[in-house]
Amino acid sequence: MAQRTPRMSNLHITRRIKYQNELDLGFGKVMTSIPGAEDLLRCIQCGTCSSTCPLSIYMDHTPRKIIAMTRAGFKDEVLSSATIWLCASCYSCTVDCPKKIKITDVMYALKRKAIEEKVWPRGLPIPVLAKEFFASVLRTGRANEGRTVAKVWLKTRPLKLLANMGLGLRLMARGRMSMKSERMTGSVDQLRKILDSVHNSDTGHSPG
Amino acid sequence: MIMHRKSPEDQPRIGVYVCHCGVNIAAKVDVEHVRDFAASLPGVVVSRDYKFACSDPGQELIQKDIREHDLNRIVVASCSPQLHERTFRRTCADAGLSPFFFQMANIREHVSWVTVDPGAATTKARALVAAAVRRVARAEALALRQVPVRPEVLVVGGGIAGIHSALTLANAGKKVFLVEREPTIGGHMAQLDKTFPTMDCSACILTPKMSDVKNHPNITMWTYSEVDEVSGFTGNFKVKVRRKARYIKEELCVGCGDCVDACVMKKEKVQVPDEFNVGLSKRKAVYMPFPQATPACMVIDPKQCLQLMKGKCAQTCVDACERAAVDFDQTDEIVEIDVGAIVMATGFRPFDAKRIPEYGYGRFDHVYTTLEVERLVNASGPTGGEVVLRDGTVPKTVGVIHCVGSRDRRHNAYCSKVCCMAALKMAHLVKERTGAEVFDFYVDMRTPSKGYEEFYDQVLSEGVQFIRGRVAEVTDWAMTPEEEGKLVIRVEDTLIGVARRVPVDMVILAVGLEPQVDTAEMQRRFNISCSQEGFFLERHPKLAPVSTFTDGIFLAGACQGPKDIPEVVAQAGAAAAEALALVDRGHVDIEPNTAWIEEEACSGCKTCIPLCPFNAITRDEEKAIAVVNDAMCKGCGTCVAACPSGAAQQNMFTDEQIYEEIEGVLAYV
Repeated sequence: MAQRTPRMSNLHITRRIKYQNELDLGFGKVMTSIPGAEDLLRCIQCGTCSSTCPLSIYMDHTPRKIIAMTRAGFKDEVLSSATIWLCASCYSCTVDCPKKIKITDVMYALKRKAIEEKVWPRGLPIPVLAKEFFASVLRTGRANEGRTVAKVWLKTRPLKLLANMGLGLRLMARGRMSMKSERMTGSVDQLRKILDSVHNSDTGHSPG
Repeated sequence: MIMHRKSPEDQPRIGVYVCHCGVNIAAKVDVEHVRDFAASLPGVVVSRDYKFACSDPGQELIQKDIREHDLNRIVVASCSPQLHERTFRRTCADAGLSPFFFQMANIREHVSWVTVDPGAATTKARALVAAAVRRVARAEALALRQVPVRPEVLVVGGGIAGIHSALTLANAGKKVFLVEREPTIGGHMAQLDKTFPTMDCSACILTPKMSDVKNHPNITMWTYSEVDEVSGFTGNFKVKVRRKARYIKEELCVGCGDCVDACVMKKEKVQVPDEFNVGLSKRKAVYMPFPQATPACMVIDPKQCLQLMKGKCAQTCVDACERAAVDFDQTDEIVEIDVGAIVMATGFRPFDAKRIPEYGYGRFDHVYTTLEVERLVNASGPTGGEVVLRDGTVPKTVGVIHCVGSRDRRHNAYCSKVCCMAALKMAHLVKERTGAEVFDFYVDMRTPSKGYEEFYDQVLSEGVQFIRGRVAEVTDWAMTPEEEGKLVIRVEDTLIGVARRVPVDMVILAVGLEPQVDTAEMQRRFNISCSQEGFFLERHPKLAPVSTFTDGIFLAGACQGPKDIPEVVAQAGAAAAEALALVDRGHVDIEPNTAWIEEEACSGCKTCIPLCPFNAITRDEEKAIAVVNDAMCKGCGTCVAACPSGAAQQNMFTDEQIYEEIEGVLAYV
């Protein structure tokens, strides 16, 4: 295989240093005060989470590094990272963590924070999915799969909705998906109350 | 005494056993070839190779041969005599053969482990076996000597190691001399505030043991004293102790402190840095190191006292002392004692952080060592336990730096073992006392003892910021407005993968442990060895960790290597037990390797007399010849080598034996 001679223009030389005033120690403190995430402080940076994670090979920062950066206050890097959105909630890291840190829950907390701070990557369907899913539950007490999927595609990649139309129709034909709006029996109010109290709890974190 | 079945006049009938040592020897040395070669040597009756000669069946094989083949000399070619000479001597003795008709050839440490080429290894093994065979043929029947042992023990050093050793021995009913060079016992532990990982107050657990030492009827405690000279040998050491003049009569002083109040050095600028507070406070010429000092007795520093330096002072201390304890005429006193065993517990010194100029110690006021911060956080320390910096402010951000002087080939290559935990303790205490944001810079976190990892976990959960990376520099050169007026710690955060600059108000350097400054001198005085890094060397790193290569001298505590308090106490107990095993038995067996003088050959030149390190040679004025005192001779061979007329000879090392051994090495290669 012919080796291409490296060119100066291919060398991306950038200044990389972190001054303490660029960091937000408060961010680390807030994140570690979230219920379930306190144990983040106990992390010994062993990297088990990163090695067991089936998706870490696609991540810009491994889960271990996300924890280190969260603790150290690297707020911008953490919240703009693809890592938190790539997490598939398989819970391997949580199961394997020797310090019993609920890493998947931490990832969720970081996702919520990113949404709250409006820094999630635009065009990424996952945050939209989370929002639509929650909105559906709040409205009807049920997750309406067909409608949620349609809305997510519509809001993120409308063309993709067309491309997937065939698949959608086939699923509907076999009763695997429905566009019918389902509602929970009884009043949705009780569920809303529960969710509201979570929303207004002193953690101050919106569930969606 | 052992009965010899064979008379030495018999013709040598030698048995040779070439050991495989599993594959340790056999993988490199052609043992079958060496066995066949040995069989061809003059006097060899039996020659065998065996998988493990030291095993029970191996030893039984040798004994069976002694009986069946009427062997009167044995050679085992195996490991170092250090390891198994005793084993095989016993094998011979049990079969009725004098243990001194046994000779060992070391073909493991000297051959198979250090030789690359199998051919060369086999050749060298042949030569060593031939040397042993020729030498053992000239062996003489000798018997072990038994020498009585004195029951007293000397403990050198009054830190926690010496204290624990002394108490253990004294509780066993032995008389103990505890010699400490400082004016008080207690050592470094007395300076500590809390002890990890349980955070017991250091003074609370130490001071009761200090008073136990002082009040124990079996302990003679000599502080402000040093060992000047050691002679003799195991079981019978003669020690000269210098009791330095403290210019205070110890038997009269009650430590009331009236003399200190009266001392004319009232102004702080004429006072001197207080050693106990690591220079964070000042003291006068007359002082007591700390309130719980043991003995509770003042001392006058002859290098500061005006009366002692210039002979001119109002002597207000003399007037102030109701008990008339001040005595400017005191002089050093030399006391001679006889002891059966010696426990070395001379401790360590902290690494001098000034040797790493990039960390700014001594240059920046707000860079401290862990020992200094111990005094700062201590309630009886110079600030009454308040963590305040030299400018009177309370730090809001603190950086703790690990591995200062350790794991660094430019200073000490070894890990000092205690500093990670000391640093964690500091991080915890400083955060607790000040609420400061604490950054902890570590290279590897080493917390391997009981409850230690749990302590690390606790400090982690307290929110101390841990940054993995060795700090390059502590600087006051600000690069951002936020860094102005701060000390900036430059480090690579190796876990995040970015260079960082962390501005802090206070830096704590977790300094390592080093051998005492005068270790080399001590080594000579006590005739013990030091390992490469300068700590006293144990006889075997695993199996004789508190013994030295000098019989009767044992090691306790950090003088043997960095150790934390639990380990020091465990080792001090072990050293006391070993010393007890020696002095309690009442006698020692000594190798019959003493020198003697052939009267006819001695010209009476006296060359040997001053050379003998054990003063074992005297001159018989009547016969005008030298005489060796058998009981004092340690078998060093100095006189033998020095004698110009060849009159000095040594058992087990006669000229004949040595020449035969040399011939053996050379004749077959």
